[in-house]
Amino acid sequence: MRALIAALVLGCTMLIPPMAFAESPPEPETVDSEALEGAAEERATQFVGVEGPDAESIPGGALMLAAYAIVWALLFLFLMRMRGLQRQTAEELERLSAEIRASGDR
Amino acid sequence: MSGIRQSGNSTVWSLLLFATLALFAVTLYAIFIVAPVEQQMGIVQKIFYFHVPSAYAMYIGFGVSAVGSAVYLLKRDARWDAVAVAGAEVGTLFCLIVLLTGPLWARKAWGVWWTWDPRLTTTLLAGMIFAAYLALRSMGDAGEVEKRFAAGLALFGLVDLPLIHYSVQRWRGVHPTVITGKGGGLESEMYWALGLSFIAFTGLAALLIWARASVERQREESARLRLELMHR
Repeated sequence: MRALIAALVLGCTMLIPPMAFAESPPEPETVDSEALEGAAEERATQFVGVEGPDAESIPGGALMLAAYAIVWALLFLFLMRMRGLQRQTAEELERLSAEIRASGDR
Repeated sequence: MSGIRQSGNSTVWSLLLFATLALFAVTLYAIFIVAPVEQQMGIVQKIFYFHVPSAYAMYIGFGVSAVGSAVYLLKRDARWDAVAVAGAEVGTLFCLIVLLTGPLWARKAWGVWWTWDPRLTTTLLAGMIFAAYLALRSMGDAGEVEKRFAAGLALFGLVDLPLIHYSVQRWRGVHPTVITGKGGGLESEMYWALGLSFIAFTGLAALLIWARASVERQREESARLRLELMHR
């Protein structure tokens, strides 16, 4: 049952990045005549230059570090899971072998 | 005889592990020291050196799973079923790596985390097919029917692999084509770093499939012993 839950969580995890990261295009703004008149009243009377960066700054270094960290973290988790599975199976094999030996002696 | 074979396997395993670890060290040096920073994208382009070989390792995992499943369906040999399970798990691991590292690069390069590009969509589809395979196989001790159904699912997943590969060439999308012959290619240092990474990831995928298949065979043996005990 735990393994089934783990597999379902894995499946959901795969869906999360596309769902979370998908971006829909911006809705076109509806313009009515009243708003146009208001806008005409409030039209700009001067132009002022921006201060600081005028474009979105995306930190490439942080994204790259995150990507490499994800790779190592997932590999580590996979190895830990496999180690747990191997230990559990070895213990069960030993127990079953002992039980079979015991039932043979009887 | 079995002991000698086991000892030989252990030696090959250790050699492969050592070679892969050494290769990863050299690959990281090539990626971060030798390969230049890309002119337009900057340092974020270095994700490419792990992202693309991970996709390749995903193909290996899913391919091994499909081959193991096909042979299992023909011979009904549990060893091939173990190989199929191992391939599916390792392939899904690398698919998850691809699906998580790709958006980090895309955010910088395309301005969005995800877009329904043909290659991205078909990769997600392959991941979902093999996640379904693993969900099916995780339902306790799989019986013969579950194993056969899962094998069919793995073969169905195999159909998606060429779609992922050729989607970039056949359909219009935004995914780069620098190493598929349509783009301007890479600088020689970049090729070296990528080539080394491909070899390192091949070794890693082989090691993981090998280890996981070995555990799966032990689980099969344990299930057989349980059955034997029940019938006594």
